[in-house]
Amino acid sequence: MNRKLFHVIRREYLQQVKTKGFWIGTILIPTLGLVFVYLQVILASTLIPEGKIGVVDLTGRLYEPLVAEQKAVSDVDEKDGKVEEKSRKMPAKITFFAVEATPDTLPAVRKELNQRVQKKEIKAYIVIPADGLATGNVEWRARSVKADMILRESVERGLARAGTKERLKDAGVDPSVYEKARLTVKLDPREATEKETSEDAKNVGANLAISGVLFFLIYISIFIYGAFIMRGVLEEKNNRIVEVIISSVKPTTLMLGKIIGIGLVGLTQYAVWGLFAFTITLPGIVGVMGLSGGALPSIPGMTILAFVVFFLLGYFLYAGLYAALAAPFNTEQEAQQLVMIPGMMLILASTMWFFAFNTPDGTLARVLSLFPFTSPLLMFMRISVQPPPAWEIALSIVILLLSIWGVAWFAGRVYRVGILMYGKKPTLPEIIRWARATD
Amino acid sequence: MTSAISISGVTKRFGKFTAVDRLDLEVPLGVTFGLLGPNGAGKTTTIRMTMNITKADEGTIQVLGKPLADEMQERIGYLPEERGLYRKMTVIDQLLFFAAIKGVEKKAALARLEKWIDVMDLRPWLAKKTEELSKGMQQKVQFLGTIVHDPEVLILDEPFSGLDPINVVLLKDFLVDFKKQGKTIVFSTHVMEQAEKLCDRIALIYRGRKLLDGTVKEIKAAYRDRVPLPPPVEPEPELEKIFIKAVEESGLAAPATEELR
Ligand SMILES: Nc1ncnc2c1ncn2[C@@H]1O[C@H](COP(=O)(O)OP(=O)(O)OP(=O)(O)O)[C@@H](O)[C@H]1O
Ligand SMILES: [Mg+2]
Repeated sequence: MNRKLFHVIRREYLQQVKTKGFWIGTILIPTLGLVFVYLQVILASTLIPEGKIGVVDLTGRLYEPLVAEQKAVSDVDEKDGKVEEKSRKMPAKITFFAVEATPDTLPAVRKELNQRVQKKEIKAYIVIPADGLATGNVEWRARSVKADMILRESVERGLARAGTKERLKDAGVDPSVYEKARLTVKLDPREATEKETSEDAKNVGANLAISGVLFFLIYISIFIYGAFIMRGVLEEKNNRIVEVIISSVKPTTLMLGKIIGIGLVGLTQYAVWGLFAFTITLPGIVGVMGLSGGALPSIPGMTILAFVVFFLLGYFLYAGLYAALAAPFNTEQEAQQLVMIPGMMLILASTMWFFAFNTPDGTLARVLSLFPFTSPLLMFMRISVQPPPAWEIALSIVILLLSIWGVAWFAGRVYRVGILMYGKKPTLPEIIRWARATD
Repeated sequence: MTSAISISGVTKRFGKFTAVDRLDLEVPLGVTFGLLGPNGAGKTTTIRMTMNITKADEGTIQVLGKPLADEMQERIGYLPEERGLYRKMTVIDQLLFFAAIKGVEKKAALARLEKWIDVMDLRPWLAKKTEELSKGMQQKVQFLGTIVHDPEVLILDEPFSGLDPINVVLLKDFLVDFKKQGKTIVFSTHVMEQAEKLCDRIALIYRGRKLLDGTVKEIKAAYRDRVPLPPPVEPEPELEKIFIKAVEESGLAAPATEELR
């Protein structure tokens, strides 16, 4: 390797790694991530519905059974904090109270209940019509028709169970049969191969969470390090140091050195995270999220390999663009307009994750995982969900390599003209003309 | 014998504007060469083309007998008109980086810098970030960066601009010393007095074209009849010398060292 390139890389790397900002970022990002996850968990637990709910039962048969269902679940809840079946979950913090009414007094009762809801004395009330047991239609009245989804669902479930038991009685069946006869079915996903799927691989939730985190890491680091490159290029230009440097090294060497140096800074950050993550943080995350059934899932080697490969390819592609698009300008504000282009492409790629996740071999996912500006993210996602045929991966890598070469060519030429341009802000056509001009 | 720099028929246009127009210049080896001309004459553009920073549209430029290729960069020291340093780097890291990209090992660079660090009063500042240095101090660092690889040819674009009289003397002494080693210096300047004292040869360019070219003696001889001679003056001390004397006699240490204690 060229010694000058080595020194440019070394300088870039050391300058970044020596700053406080780097270490603060390195520690802050995972900490923030943890806080974020933790908050989610706290929030999720506050979503457990609570409140007083009035029951106007015109069938005269459902109020008692509903309260019984509620109590049955509450008992379980209190016993070990866990409910064996999710479907039975009806949180304890709901209290029902009966409201006497006949079809004649209903309007007056409604009026009074409406007021109590508006005054926030009660959360909501339900009206079970006389034919409620036949139709299953029940009225829900609350301040908003949109809110309280979880509360509504649990009341729905309680009513359904209570109603079903009453209907069994009508049909002359002992309602205790219901509990015995109920069958909960769980699909156990396995791959269609002769090999038995390992326990790890089956730990789908945790694996997908890790893929998601890695996907997000690729996305955010290309963004962050792209901005680093832009700032670095502008700084050298504004300091006027660039002219001193390029009297010693070629502009393209300077650009390449900057890109590689900052890329290494990124890898250093990953290494630090990796070290901590697998000893401290990750068990924490997975534990808090309640994703793993105790044992920590190991990340499949393929996912890690894909992560490294596609991070690097994506990084080099975008880094070249950032360098080229920053070089013609004097300030970040000026550069912002053009730098938005790779930014938008990145955001676009990141919003497409769902296609790669949900239908990894759908047409859209396949196209996006070949298109160079989205493929680093989407091909990674596909590989981690359901590895596509080897030729697709190979093709995607080849296209990326060719694109990197093209971007490097473009960037090199724009860069060497751009860094010496002061004054007037050039337009995109002018910049493209620089790239096409023969020396 | 090859010239240090040989420019022939060089033209540079920026759009429709011709900044350098069919310029020929020869700088023989071992000569101190002054490039003169009013603002916008094309001096910086010429120097940048010589350094291969911008490409000439027409004509050829040779340095030390060859077209300027990368390996030649290590034999030339260049001080651009617009100075700059990495603000967050320490002085010593910066100097070693300049040396490294000129292909000089750390040890050799340190040995070479040793003498100059003291001459320029930079020792107390070596571990400071450049943004903490005064402008003049930064210029010294920059100048050291230009010579740290012991170049054969020095190309300086307005090296004296922004220097106080003490540093002007420092730089002049350096250039004289450098010249004594048989090396070549090319510099642009607006201060005729410096050109007169330091240069063997000068060229005057205007609007991208060469108006005058030759040794200082030749040019003076050619213009003797056409330019009025200065009136004889009563010798009196020069202000520059007074400035330096006053600073010396103040008995204070140089600001650089003082502030740090
Ligand atoms: N990158 C550029 N784009 C357009 N015009 C330029 C560029 N660089 C220089 N010029 C023009 O070329 C002419 C020569 O500029 P140059 O900087 O070479 O002058 P100079 O002799 O160094 O002047 P000064 O004494 O002011 O430093 C000027 O008119 C300048 O405006
Ligand atoms: Mg100039």
